[in-house]
Amino acid sequence: MATRPSIRGMTDEQVTQLRKSYAEMMAIDDDRGYSFFAGLHGLPLPIYCQHGTLLFLPWHRAYLYFFELAIQDRVEGVGVPWWDWTSDESHVRGIPASYAVERTPQDERNPLASAEYSNWPQDLVDLVRDRAPGLISADDPARTVRDPDSPDELPSREAVSRTLSLMTFEDFSQSLENLHGAVHVWVGGSMSAVPAAAYDPIFWSHHSMVDRLWYLWQIGPNGVLPPENLLDVTLTPFPMTVRETLSIERLGYDYAVQSIE
Amino acid sequence: MATSKSMKSGSVEGILHASLHYRPKSGEQSDFVRADLVFTGVDHSDLSYEVRVFLNNPEAGEKTPCEQARGYAGCFTIFGHGGCFGDLGHCDIRSLPKGPHDLRPAHPLMPQTKVVEITAALNKILQESEQGLTSVTLVPIAKTPRRADYAITAELFKFEDMKLRTYR
Repeated sequence: MATRPSIRGMTDEQVTQLRKSYAEMMAIDDDRGYSFFAGLHGLPLPIYCQHGTLLFLPWHRAYLYFFELAIQDRVEGVGVPWWDWTSDESHVRGIPASYAVERTPQDERNPLASAEYSNWPQDLVDLVRDRAPGLISADDPARTVRDPDSPDELPSREAVSRTLSLMTFEDFSQSLENLHGAVHVWVGGSMSAVPAAAYDPIFWSHHSMVDRLWYLWQIGPNGVLPPENLLDVTLTPFPMTVRETLSIERLGYDYAVQSIE
Repeated sequence: MATSKSMKSGSVEGILHASLHYRPKSGEQSDFVRADLVFTGVDHSDLSYEVRVFLNNPEAGEKTPCEQARGYAGCFTIFGHGGCFGDLGHCDIRSLPKGPHDLRPAHPLMPQTKVVEITAALNKILQESEQGLTSVTLVPIAKTPRRADYAITAELFKFEDMKLRTYR
């Protein structure tokens, strides 16, 4: 069972291990590598992600599940930490320091701060730079960039509470997806549009938070199943149905506010 | 009721303004427990954007504070696809299914439905204004990758319908 920690509660050693797992994945160019997983959400085509449909939450749960297994293939026991963008700290500092600093304490490039679009051919890089200035770095090799808004513009605890109080899957999913979209555009840069977003390492922790909120709603008084007609839908490209995403216990992970060892 | 094409342009190109009248009969102000503005057919094919909703404030614009006192009722965000990166026709939305044996998933660019809960803002108006709700103003702001490029957009926000829905 992997525990997904809060970024804020991570020890230095946990951050080091997470960085190690991401860095090792980023060094792999095949379908075990970071770019392969990031590309499933966006470019290069096809774009598989689900937005604006009731598959939004199940699809991204499956996505994180397979990504997390891939980082655990590199460093056993790591979990994708969740970024609580409602916390007091986030509303003052914005992006967590462990994801914001350019260099690690070992003076290496911080793999949680940015990633390379290593699987994008040059003509795609040029096209994206032309169509959406600022979505990726202007210099080669193309990397993720951020242009965050003011920290106090992040969604509030009250907004999350209102979402958690909703009583149908449709209302809850739509409301949470709206908060999710607000955080994407708040981070700006690569996170601000579907084709480039999942390459930014903060993407995974943003979606870990979204997944955690779905989990909290599921185990709370208002949590209900997605509509029956969706339960056996396959979440392409993952060999998993909506029904198979419904229990995080079955998927082998849980959430913790803080891990103490 | 109102579409992005049928709504009047506001004071700035891109801002949309529609007359929308709602005034329950006397004594029925608490006739609903929740009120939503429901937008259907919302386009998400291009860059991301945010739409701010103001009630009874036709002068609302980009700089208008997002406060209930100014008629602000809520907003929604579209996390956009950033344009088409395929060959010609790749992002043309095909209508599905073509028949009972067509099991392909929906096209990724099928228009979305967005809901803005306006219960508190609408209740405030109904308590303070004899005429009740008279108009809705929509302020769409492009959430471009670079913050410096944020601006009211006349191109990104397209939708098919907007309805006021109340729940008892």
